[in-house]
Amino acid sequence: MNRDDFLAGVEEAAVAGRAHRVKTRDLPDTVGYVDCGDDRCAALAAEVEAVGGEKHLVANDAQARDTLAKLLAEIKPAVAFCWQHPLLDRLRVTETLRSHNIACHDFDSLAGLDDHARRAAMLSSDVGISSVDYAVAETGSLVVCSKPGQERMVSLLPPVHVALIDEAQIVPDLYDLFERLQENDSPALPSNVAFISGPSKTGDIELQLTTGVHGPGRWIVVIIRG
Amino acid sequence: MKETDYLRNEHHEFMAASDTALANPELQVILGRLGDSLGAKNQEAWAEFAEHDLVRERARAIKDETLSNLHEHLATLEASVLRRGGHVHWAGTGEEARQFILDIIEKRGATRVVKSKSMTSEEIHLNKTLEQAGIQVVETDFGEYIIQVAGHRPSHIVGPALHLSKSQVTEILSKAAGEPLPNDREALAAFARRTLRSSFAEADVGITGVNYAIAETGSIVLVENEGNVRLTTGLPKTHIAVMGIEKVIPRLADLPYFLKILARAATGQKMSCYTSLITGARQEDEIDGPDEFHLIILDNGRSRILSGPLRESLFCIRCGACLNACPIYRTVGGHAYGGVYTGPIGAVLTPLYDGLPLNHDLPHASSLCGACQTACPVKIQIPQMLVNLRTQLTEVPGQVGRGEALSYRVWARMLRSPWWYGCATWLATRTIGRWCRKTGWLHRLPGKLHGWTKTRDFPAPAPERFRDWWHSNDAGESPTDARPVAAQERSP
Repeated sequence: MNRDDFLAGVEEAAVAGRAHRVKTRDLPDTVGYVDCGDDRCAALAAEVEAVGGEKHLVANDAQARDTLAKLLAEIKPAVAFCWQHPLLDRLRVTETLRSHNIACHDFDSLAGLDDHARRAAMLSSDVGISSVDYAVAETGSLVVCSKPGQERMVSLLPPVHVALIDEAQIVPDLYDLFERLQENDSPALPSNVAFISGPSKTGDIELQLTTGVHGPGRWIVVIIRG
Repeated sequence: MKETDYLRNEHHEFMAASDTALANPELQVILGRLGDSLGAKNQEAWAEFAEHDLVRERARAIKDETLSNLHEHLATLEASVLRRGGHVHWAGTGEEARQFILDIIEKRGATRVVKSKSMTSEEIHLNKTLEQAGIQVVETDFGEYIIQVAGHRPSHIVGPALHLSKSQVTEILSKAAGEPLPNDREALAAFARRTLRSSFAEADVGITGVNYAIAETGSIVLVENEGNVRLTTGLPKTHIAVMGIEKVIPRLADLPYFLKILARAATGQKMSCYTSLITGARQEDEIDGPDEFHLIILDNGRSRILSGPLRESLFCIRCGACLNACPIYRTVGGHAYGGVYTGPIGAVLTPLYDGLPLNHDLPHASSLCGACQTACPVKIQIPQMLVNLRTQLTEVPGQVGRGEALSYRVWARMLRSPWWYGCATWLATRTIGRWCRKTGWLHRLPGKLHGWTKTRDFPAPAPERFRDWWHSNDAGESPTDARPVAAQERSP
């Protein structure tokens, strides 16, 4: 259908429909704001656990490195798929992977491959390691923005996803998050912003919870107090 | 009609399909659990969220405001999508939308398509068209995959395979696997994961629906729990999203109000596992994500609804809460409704989209108890809309028989005059009231009224009129009721 005819039809209907508007109230923008208390780290950790994730609340970088090393020793991945991110650099993740003899795919190693080989490499990874752009304490959501070095598939294709988070990345409520997105990223939003709130789940058989149907069945969140 | 036909047919009679559903013990067990699971989780989620009522009110106001200037918001959306290098296609009908999608796929020489669950793509019967054109379409939502293999239609907006028991799913997927699979949820999910991963590895095009489209940024929002939407929008080279015109919201700042209520209403979660905010195709240096983004904007009868009294039905955010709350849905299941959209909102939408005369039973498929409106995250006044459709039905030729029309006229005349009302109640108490004085119940009614007494008794009139009792007693005295109190239900 011609675009202008389409929109003219919608306009006519929208104007006629104003006769059937419903009664609504004026409400403040902050309606439904959830105050998560003073300890954002603890609030986020509690929500992560509530939605079926594993939380590790640590006091400093050294403990975070230690936690990651223990997790990798337990998961025993052959190949990791990683972000290239300042926090991961600060925690010297590449070094930890090398010391555990774990191969690592990341932007630098994949950018040169053709599309098919790249897809195959991503699909064969055993663990995804990322940081986040933001985390929401209210809902236990990790917010990841796509850009080179922050591949969207890191948090999705491998059966295990480990996210490393700094306290400064945590916002209390969804409204705070959208304010930040508006300030920092809009109008040029990243091509993909994903909110991750738990391991992959389905209730499609008899409404019973089954995890890991498409995305990671195991979701591990390491939170570093600032 | 074969017993299972109604699982597949696009249209059928509500009453006949309901009888089939009632006679299916396996389905009755599944439906019986629905209220205690999804329905209860929804109520708990509201109870734990102190200001839920006000957030729902706010979301409702955004929808109302947006619809009154819908053309402007759609034009803004188009400009924003184009600015980010996307393509916009305006489809007046389902036929046009199917053609747009087919053209995009064929122009790329693509043959393999992965899809995530989309009610709008069901509405336009997309899969059939693509398959006829020789394109392999794989549904990747676990529930949709199961029913695609089985050849069924979805029975619930959120849980498309909800009508199947675990052992039925095992049987269906074992056939697809070519070997017997264990009757175990994890094993069945693992089989689907393996099979669908190979589809994802090869797919050329990903097709999704749209939960919300944000006009000012040109973004679409998709909400899911499994991760298949993220795979569908992340791996193939081309992403096609299909949306009805009512899915647009003006600003990014409007989105959190909807995110706070959608998952709570659908599954009782605070947030679904994955929410994707997608703005165009991948940026130049990114190494994953699609190269192209197409947005199909579909009218398909929506602007007609927008101009009329049932405009509010366009507020629907497809959460399924009204289905879980509805005593009728929880008795007959989704397939009985015949249309793509089921439950109370389906009883409104299906007659609006597919025609009222063809779906004349649906406005009556409700006891008007109001549970749907209470559960609805955007408080759609579904009962009022069903009454409106019932009124419209009286003007459809052939819908109301002469006998029925006459009896309603007599009824209306009687209620308008105290004298006639007095006469009628006198007659009723002296005859039926006295004949049934012992039990107080009628076991069988004549003609069309038999529909009521087929499965339950009907209360008989009292043996004495209230006005007579009032005059023969002191006003201060408490009334004594001669009728047995307990309801007498007969099992069908």
